[in-house]
Amino acid sequence: MLTAEQLGHLRHFDNLSRQLPNDWSSMQGKGVGQDDFGGYRFQLAYMAYALALAHVHWLPAAPGVFKGTFERLIEKILLPEVWMYWRDTSRGGAIFNQHLGDRLHEEWNPVVRDNIMYSAYVQSMALLYHYLFDDDRYAKPSALSFRHWSFFWGGEEKHFDYDENSLNDHIYWQMVENGHLGIACEPNCIFQICNQPAILGFRMHDLVTGGSTAEEVTRGYEQAWLQFGRLDAGGHYNMMLLADTKTVLPNEGKTPWVDAWCGTLMNMWNREFVRANYPRQVRELLDRGRDGTMSVRSTSPREVMGQRVVADSCDFGWVATWASEMGDSETLDGLLAHADRHMAPTWGDGGLYYPRNDAETDAQGNRTLVEPLTGNALLGYARLNVPDGLWRLYNEPWDRSHFTEPALAAVARDIDVSEAFFDRAKRTLTFTIRRREDVAGSGIISLRNVDESASWKLAPGFVLSRDGGVLSLRCPPGGFQTIVATLR
Amino acid sequence: MKPGGEFHLIDHHGVEVSDATYHGRHALVFFGFTHCKVVCPRALGRLTRVLDALGPLAEQIRPLYVTVDPERDSPEVMRAFLERSYPRFTGLTGSRPQIDAAKRAFRVFARRTADPDDPDGYAVPHSAITYVLDPDGRYTTHFTDAVDEREMTERLREILS
Repeated sequence: MLTAEQLGHLRHFDNLSRQLPNDWSSMQGKGVGQDDFGGYRFQLAYMAYALALAHVHWLPAAPGVFKGTFERLIEKILLPEVWMYWRDTSRGGAIFNQHLGDRLHEEWNPVVRDNIMYSAYVQSMALLYHYLFDDDRYAKPSALSFRHWSFFWGGEEKHFDYDENSLNDHIYWQMVENGHLGIACEPNCIFQICNQPAILGFRMHDLVTGGSTAEEVTRGYEQAWLQFGRLDAGGHYNMMLLADTKTVLPNEGKTPWVDAWCGTLMNMWNREFVRANYPRQVRELLDRGRDGTMSVRSTSPREVMGQRVVADSCDFGWVATWASEMGDSETLDGLLAHADRHMAPTWGDGGLYYPRNDAETDAQGNRTLVEPLTGNALLGYARLNVPDGLWRLYNEPWDRSHFTEPALAAVARDIDVSEAFFDRAKRTLTFTIRRREDVAGSGIISLRNVDESASWKLAPGFVLSRDGGVLSLRCPPGGFQTIVATLR
Repeated sequence: MKPGGEFHLIDHHGVEVSDATYHGRHALVFFGFTHCKVVCPRALGRLTRVLDALGPLAEQIRPLYVTVDPERDSPEVMRAFLERSYPRFTGLTGSRPQIDAAKRAFRVFARRTADPDDPDGYAVPHSAITYVLDPDGRYTTHFTDAVDEREMTERLREILS
């Protein structure tokens, strides 16, 4: 059963998804122009991934809790404010690429070349949605459309149409062209990490269409990286590869996010490898506090060309998600306890998050730094995940009968669902809910694949009714109640 | 964008050809190089067996082998290589710009690397994908080297019928 904190994270994701277009309140990080790892795209994507994990592992019979939020997150990641950095980054990008400046050009289409740090999130979110909700809305022509037009400058509208299949195909063929080494983020910069979401997307595409692209790509990917090594000399994940010179940039500084982000995701298809290296790698990144709390030791920001690099590393958040995937409850609990003690957990509109704080530490030296990606998405992800959660999502998919089982198809905004599952052996749908009084909503749950003929165990005040052919449950305000429907 | 499209090359008889040359029948297209030690012999052998298994249906297919190593793979070299071991295939080569254009069209990976075991000191690792084009030269599907012979035979049979 979901805890109050887990429910709080889900509600915070929902609250952020409902912000008006281009209202990025509480999502703005230190960096400028969406260049760095704290960008909106990462926050939106990892909230979506966390929703997927929560749906699969905690509330499999409650798609209605997640579907609308998921749609709004996808709608937001398509907004030009999220991807317009590519117009500039495509011209050269990182400091490693000054020699390429005259070859590269301004590119408005945010998915047509490189930029896997954006395209793979759109691809994987759309395909996760299709798989989780058995809904092909993003497979329709132009369902994933990137559009920008300005009254004040810019001439004709920039308009690029894709759908989940055409985008998936496009990413796949870029992988092939690159010899399965992966696709670059900034031009010429192939990060191990940023190709993992594309693999998740391929797997979801396979689940939806019956293909085997993910298996093919991971096999090719393993082969291609053999000559470079997945780990550096110190046993940490190599950060990236410069495509033109085939130069590997190691994680020589033991930067936590490099290991933790990669390990969080790569576990889905490379579990034995990730798990074999985790204990040693994570040990070098952690600081133990009192009472079992734990924190993460970040490296100092880089100094390049006389400039200090301003970026959201999100080290703490990534180590938390990594520990959650590894099932390392001691580390996960220690990190979350530290966050609850030193990172100002905040409740707003029923949602729980850790607000941005740019101060590295408090006066006692406790880590207080919180980036929006960590505070909005990653700590929630970590709290909602289960051991091997992404691995199970990837490797133990639902069969088709899942979508014929009784479920909560739509859930009003004022209802919290802490449990929802269908027991196939007993043929019972069980869900635990409460209607909040501090959030506006209709208090109605729409049900599917179950009708009045089931044997219903309802708490006082709950009323079943049929509205336009849909069976609905009207819920009174109050505390949590468990409802059971047994099919006849 | 799907792989495939226009190309202008030279066949292993020294004749200038284009994608249009092969319209009218399905085409199986594989990119490789004759000095390839593992991937090409395995792929060409496998494709030959698949074509054998298709029986008369194989007459509807033009098997094409496009080099990614035009510096060594002249028409004569390709002809000798293919006629000796893989006679079903027509070899295609061309100038470096022509080959690069064909690679781009088919979204092929191939990159020259040092190989001390090769007499010339280099190899050209490449993607191992077999493209199927329809009689109008349009991409129909592709097979990776993970697809076994039986599955490829059956899928080609479906496409051809």
